[in-house]
Amino acid sequence: MAHIMLKKLKVPANSGSLEEARSRTFEFFRMCCRSIPHIMEIYNLYDVVTPSQLRSAAAAEVRKNSNVTNPKVIDMLLFKGTEELMNIVNQSKQRHHIVGQYVVGNQGLVQDLAAKDQDTSNFLKNFYGSNYS
Amino acid sequence: MGLGLLASRTLRSSSRIFHNNGPTTHFLRTITSTPDLNNADASASAVQQPDLPPRNPVGGARVHFPNPEDAIEVFVDGYPVKIPKGMTVLQACEVAGVDIPRFCYHSRLSIAGNCRMCLVEVEKSPKPVASCAMPALPGMKIKTDTPIAKKAREGVMEFLLMNHPLDCPICDQGGECDLQDQSMAFGSDRGRFTEMKRSVVDKNLGPLVKTVMTRCIQCTRCVRFASEVAGVEDLGMLGRGSGEEIGTYVEKLMTSELSGNVIDICPVGALTSKPFAFKARNWELKGTESIDVTDAVGSNIRIDSRGPEVMRVVPRLNEDINEEWISDKTRFFYDGLKRQRLNDPMLRGPDGRFKAVTWRDALAIVAEVMHQIKPEEIVGVAGKLSDAESMMALKDLLNKMGSNNIFCEGNGMHPNADLRSGYIMNTGISGLEKADAFLLVGTQPRVEAAMVNARIRKTVKATNAKVGYVGPAADFNYDHRHLGTDPKTLVEIAEGRHPFSSALKNAKNPVIIVGAGVFEREDKDAVFAAVETIGKNNNVVRPDWNGLNVLLLNGAQAAALDLGLVPESDKCIESAKFVYLMGADDVSLDKLPDDAFVVYQGHHGDRGVYRANVILPASAFTEKEGIYENTEGCAQITLPAVPTVGDARDDWKIIRALSEVAGVGLPYDSLGAIRSRIRTVAPNLLELDERQPATFSTSLRPEVSQKVSETPFTPAVENFYMTDAITRASKIMAQCSALLRK
Ligand code: SF4
Ligand code: FES
Repeated sequence: MAHIMLKKLKVPANSGSLEEARSRTFEFFRMCCRSIPHIMEIYNLYDVVTPSQLRSAAAAEVRKNSNVTNPKVIDMLLFKGTEELMNIVNQSKQRHHIVGQYVVGNQGLVQDLAAKDQDTSNFLKNFYGSNYS
Repeated sequence: MGLGLLASRTLRSSSRIFHNNGPTTHFLRTITSTPDLNNADASASAVQQPDLPPRNPVGGARVHFPNPEDAIEVFVDGYPVKIPKGMTVLQACEVAGVDIPRFCYHSRLSIAGNCRMCLVEVEKSPKPVASCAMPALPGMKIKTDTPIAKKAREGVMEFLLMNHPLDCPICDQGGECDLQDQSMAFGSDRGRFTEMKRSVVDKNLGPLVKTVMTRCIQCTRCVRFASEVAGVEDLGMLGRGSGEEIGTYVEKLMTSELSGNVIDICPVGALTSKPFAFKARNWELKGTESIDVTDAVGSNIRIDSRGPEVMRVVPRLNEDINEEWISDKTRFFYDGLKRQRLNDPMLRGPDGRFKAVTWRDALAIVAEVMHQIKPEEIVGVAGKLSDAESMMALKDLLNKMGSNNIFCEGNGMHPNADLRSGYIMNTGISGLEKADAFLLVGTQPRVEAAMVNARIRKTVKATNAKVGYVGPAADFNYDHRHLGTDPKTLVEIAEGRHPFSSALKNAKNPVIIVGAGVFEREDKDAVFAAVETIGKNNNVVRPDWNGLNVLLLNGAQAAALDLGLVPESDKCIESAKFVYLMGADDVSLDKLPDDAFVVYQGHHGDRGVYRANVILPASAFTEKEGIYENTEGCAQITLPAVPTVGDARDDWKIIRALSEVAGVGLPYDSLGAIRSRIRTVAPNLLELDERQPATFSTSLRPEVSQKVSETPFTPAVENFYMTDAITRASKIMAQCSALLRK
């Protein structure tokens, strides 16, 4: 199974070219997708999220860095991604970490933004944000 | 020989080459505890050096020569200084920039001379002298760092440490302990006493002061403080010789509103703060210089915090306001900042329960309700802890909504905001020291403003000033005469029929202090008129002396009057449909119509919240920057020491945000901008840390036809320890009030 495979994971050698880095990225993403059913299982996520939502969360994380072209940087990001995946699959994290980072997302629970605030001043926007800004 | 030792030896010898041309035989410090004794001639030659580097007085001390002829010259370590006659040797050394180690000497207490730590050598005197008790004489040659002085200090340290427990690691004083510091600087590095140390039974001094009497070094500072400054003869010295102990003669608590100060003056860890015990070490604390707002004195304090928590409050020196003391309320109320806090905007549902909402929703609802109400039915009340900026914003908001019904609690419904001299302390707090007769009208300074009371006591003690008091029976800690309980007595004094009139008449600088409790009386104008007549008849107001004082109760009062927070109609609460309480908990809402909509903006779930429909959480004074004006008219600023709780916001920001949501946007969105708005209304509020006296204009007052009533004066403050939302939430203050009631 995927998580057993992950445990034996080694840090790969540097990618020689952008092509190689690209294919590694895909490989990494597939690995993520393969571990999702297991993740759903061990963190008991069925009532908060579906596998496809988690997949798009993972894809969004990858797309965040779509502008990177330096293979060395890509390697580093892949390394961090693998580490994160390993942490998740090994259950080094807890349920609320997964829910917080990949289900609810960075926006937090408050999502009634936008629209209403269009014509307000910066002061009011900051005021709604926090006391310190 | 270890490498390190070798290295240090080389270092030593090389540095000698540059700095010393005396004898070159030097020993490493081995057993002998005073190495400089071996070096006597070297230090003697230093004294004769012609050019001494200029020194600065300790702590920037300045000498004031009352009489230039009385200046005398003494030599401290060969350096000549001019000092006025009557100064002690220790003070002379301070002027010369030499800090003499001391334990028992304290500049604000009498001289005891019993610790002997301050020994210095004086030429031609056979023994070292205790500098704190020895007056400086003309031409005296004082030597502070000769081998003899050093040896004397080391000896004293050794004796003190003989019986002092070795519990610095668990002592709350550790890190700010005089004994610790001085034994590092002057002590010997090993002890010679192998006997048992003595131990002393701990005393119970109440819920504020923790005692570990074994640590006491019998300096008697606490005893002198209690009897001289606090005015309670509670502490004393029992026993003799090695049986000497500090204690209350019988099992008794310390009943003073200033008792917390013994924690600061105790040079060791014998008296420490009970609420702070084992909570933090002082080097992990962050100090923020701020102002106390729990009474109208505006004591200067330092708020020590760790992370988001206020750990303790200690005084800051301000000669004009609190000297270096603070009252127990100021020192210990801080645990109230952690209880009962409002942290989310809340809305009262139809079932009468509050539920948390977002700021957006809360402000939208308030704005909507505000617009449905007739302007004259909108009322704003500023609480007693409000800062000037937020009061300015609230007033501007209400004015923009078309209402002019805004007032500050404690000021009554007819405040006299036109003449500044009519509501501030015109002599200033330090100016009270010049007075030689006091007339206290309906005020009990001991509970209303403990630091002002300490000044009066100091004056009474120093000059035997006479004190007359009109008001309900009360407890004073100085000699006074209780003249009566109702305003009729004032009329008698004004007409010269009362025996106390002659005392006032003969006084050079008479002072009248009227309590702010009078503001709430029906016959307030008549009382003030009577007081003014007394003033006129007794020369209280002269071009060089204005002794007509008002003693305010709350931190916000003076600024509120400066900003003109005066209600348009005195029945505004009865007819209000929309009330904006900005931290106002003590305003009586009994007469408020049931269908009125109440917004409570504040930091504590206190009385105001019971009636509120919407709660807007605000920050407390430890969490925001704000200007407060004290009772003598000195504006000071608080600084944020800790972050705000939960989703709370600064007071002025809430009002500014609300104004925008309501569509009447206020034109400022920073503290700087709001202050320039204040500048146009009350520029004196921006002269920080500088007392702004009122311009003389008492004679401009309109004639009063009102008659004084016979209702006796009532106490303005029922319970010294619990006067506002923060102190009412504090557990320590609750313990103190429980003891007070016993
Ligand atoms: S308790 Fe402290 S202040 Fe009082 S005598 Fe002892 S050492 Fe001095
Ligand atoms: S300070 Fe002089 S004897 Fe204590």
